[in-house]
Amino acid sequence: MPKPPHTLGAISLSAALLLGFAAPSDSAPAPAAARPAQSKASEFQLSNGLRVVVIEDHRAPVVTHMLWFKVGGTDDPPGISGAAHLFEHLMFKGTKTVPNGELSKTVARNGGQDNAFTTPDFTAYFERIAKDRLPVVMTLEADRMTNLDLSEPNVLTERDVVLEERRLRTESNPQALAREQMEAALHLSHPYGRPVIGWMGEITTVTRAQAIDFYQHHYAPNNAMLMVVGDVTPDEVKKLAQDKFGSVPSRMLAPRMDIPPPPRLAEARLQFAIPGTKLPQLLRFYRAPSYGKGPKGTPEAMDLLAAIMGGGPTSRLYKTLVVDRKLASEASAFYDGTVRGPGEFGIIATPRDGVSFDTLENAVDQIVRSMNTAAPEMGELERAKTRLVADYTYQHDNQFVLGQDYGTSLSIGLSIADVEDWPNRIKAVQAADVRKAAQTYLLKEESVTGRMQPRP
Amino acid sequence: MKLRSLLLAFAFAVSIPATAHAITVKTVQGPTGVETWLSEEHALPMIAVTVALPAGSAYDPADKPGLAELMASLLDEGAGDLSSDAFKQALENRAIRLTAEAERDFVVVNLTTLTENADEAFRLLGLALAHPRFDSEAVERMRVAQLASLKAQDERASQVAQKSWFATYFGTHPYAHPGPGTPASLAAIKVEDIKAFAASHLVRDRVKVAVSGDITDAQLRKYLQQVFVPLPASSVQQVPKPPADAGKPGSHTIVRNEAAPVAIFGFSGPMRLDPDFIPTFVANYIFGGGNFSARLMDEVRDKRGLTYGISTQQADYKSASLIIGSVQSDKAKIMTALDVTKSEMARFAKDGATAKELADAKTFLTGSFPLGLDSNVKIARTLNGYQRSGLGVDYVEKRNGLIQAVTLAKVNEMAKKYYDPAKLVIVIAGTPAPAAPAAPQKGAAPAEKGTTASR
Repeated sequence: MPKPPHTLGAISLSAALLLGFAAPSDSAPAPAAARPAQSKASEFQLSNGLRVVVIEDHRAPVVTHMLWFKVGGTDDPPGISGAAHLFEHLMFKGTKTVPNGELSKTVARNGGQDNAFTTPDFTAYFERIAKDRLPVVMTLEADRMTNLDLSEPNVLTERDVVLEERRLRTESNPQALAREQMEAALHLSHPYGRPVIGWMGEITTVTRAQAIDFYQHHYAPNNAMLMVVGDVTPDEVKKLAQDKFGSVPSRMLAPRMDIPPPPRLAEARLQFAIPGTKLPQLLRFYRAPSYGKGPKGTPEAMDLLAAIMGGGPTSRLYKTLVVDRKLASEASAFYDGTVRGPGEFGIIATPRDGVSFDTLENAVDQIVRSMNTAAPEMGELERAKTRLVADYTYQHDNQFVLGQDYGTSLSIGLSIADVEDWPNRIKAVQAADVRKAAQTYLLKEESVTGRMQPRP
Repeated sequence: MKLRSLLLAFAFAVSIPATAHAITVKTVQGPTGVETWLSEEHALPMIAVTVALPAGSAYDPADKPGLAELMASLLDEGAGDLSSDAFKQALENRAIRLTAEAERDFVVVNLTTLTENADEAFRLLGLALAHPRFDSEAVERMRVAQLASLKAQDERASQVAQKSWFATYFGTHPYAHPGPGTPASLAAIKVEDIKAFAASHLVRDRVKVAVSGDITDAQLRKYLQQVFVPLPASSVQQVPKPPADAGKPGSHTIVRNEAAPVAIFGFSGPMRLDPDFIPTFVANYIFGGGNFSARLMDEVRDKRGLTYGISTQQADYKSASLIIGSVQSDKAKIMTALDVTKSEMARFAKDGATAKELADAKTFLTGSFPLGLDSNVKIARTLNGYQRSGLGVDYVEKRNGLIQAVTLAKVNEMAKKYYDPAKLVIVIAGTPAPAAPAAPQKGAAPAEKGTTASR
């Protein structure tokens, strides 16, 4: 559960951050930051419905201010996938009192950093800033929650920036393109099958009227959670939140759909030959339970299953395929369970030169079967538990990641206690639970397998 | 009421954030050849360590680029009497994180551990540095992984452009080496090469260690002895200065079928310890480093919709210093984006910055400083970066004062001295299509033509 949202493809950060030069020794800091989890979190609600969560971290005089809206890619109206993400962009286009672009500049003038990200389940806006500047960012956020300038040029021109973003992140990246197709095949008509950034052809059709409608029915204090992480006390935040957000009126919201995943009655196999592919890859995705939907206890077992099967150099996939049998150069597994709807379990392996996809896939299937037919050994289970529990502590070294963990979990319906109890629940998982999770959910007859063939 | 509170906020915003409190950094006595800084902080039961050794890719033999990176990838693949699998299990049993990567000058090793496992963590670090095994099985496995990663890099225009830019700029100088090597060079590297490289570069010479977290001076001194005394006390040659003909201006295109080509553009900047460095750092924030506040983002993205992102940054190495930028754009727009960049450079050199731009740059650069020092991992990495650059242990205290002291005249002098479009070295990965018109379209945009942006 303490994992960042899985749809990183939709997170909007400056393109330049992707290029990875050797960092100059005096560069401006990248977004991120720090605190332990001995229930430093508390919450309360304003009368307009705004939920407020405070997580104390007093190690440095800085705060991370985050505003989470319960709207994401799943809420895109039919035919305009990418609407929630486009809206994330529009939130920076200015208000009656803060001109276009001025919000980020004001934050920067105060020594802060700001950005936002959209996932299938939620949209979040954040600022990292010196603690005495908290009132500045709260004023700006309260303002754009209700006073956004959705003029025709603002809406229509921002679409083109999003199209550029899609070109950069997806269209020029064969692995991202394949992943998108895999998700569509796995989730069928469930909205998790649509990319958060939207399909190219649909992004271009969004109108101003649709944007206004989206704003009016999703952006309101009664659909939001304010989170302040850092060098603050709940009392300080309470006063400020009341002062800055207290007068923002609540609104009638569009009812949030809770769409059950349609049945999968067949295995799907996708043969990719996307131009520009240099590295062959084998992908295997399964639908899985989630922390949002349950059943209780199973997502924890899935987390351990992913760690044991493919969570590092001592995992079964790596040891068998990469070390012992020399069939792959890389092999790993992941579990995305911190979502409202269906979760996802995946395996990714890169065949070595001269190894056929058939040979590699047979070997993967054998490892999956090994998890079904016997419980994991105590040693590997304990190692996996130790690592997951320590990851939880390490993540709390970083203020931004800490806020992201809590925020993601709370946004999908979990409680503060659920978040903080996660290490204990991981420790409580039995070997038999892991085997049962594999037996129940790693069903090849309902899976999607992709083979990415190199193509110049 | 809303309006009034906004005005108040902005009035407040012009003063400088009160973030005097930062971390306290002190020097810890270690073995000769090992410089150690410590930031003690006991709030979390963990310790973050960053170690740099002079074993970067610049030391690769000219015919064997990729050697330093391959060696770095093998440091957690078995050491002392622990096989690769035993070493990995020892790390995982105590949730100790150990990673190593080669930069141009240094190999940088990061260690993170819970306090309760510190003994074991430093023991494993010591083994990895002093007694790496380089068993042939692990070498072959990492060679194959590095070859696969070369293919993955070749899928991305940004990676292709960046590698080619360094090769173009530095020519025969060792900073031209592609860090991960080439398929041919990786194939040629023998186990003996790796062992010899480790023996001559994992040594007690100019080693930099930065530590942050739940550990005392006395405990750290003990660990430093244990980890570093076993390393040979031999020395490593400095990377030579680039030849006079390095950085020959020009534009080069790598023909590739890309919907959105990537251009890397750069030029020579002041060395890290040159008094010009800090003023140029401020100047570069104004020109291209300041993300949504920078001129390039304003002109190329916001006003003309030519890209999703554009920026420039300083990259300082031990023997060279650069200002490098990148931009990715639709193939019909990339040349226009570069034209606008060049004219902005020329305008910056000619007219300099405004007083307001300088004031805004100072409040951001000084006010955001604590954001990079609010976690143990970030503190260890940042401090180690300062050490690698040759800065003093008091730099964290002095740094904001240095930025405050930069005058507008100095910024403008730097703009004139360094920001010359005629000196640009440009590499474009992807074939540009005929250019689109470059006129600003802000505010009057028709539905089909993009202009502004914010995220």
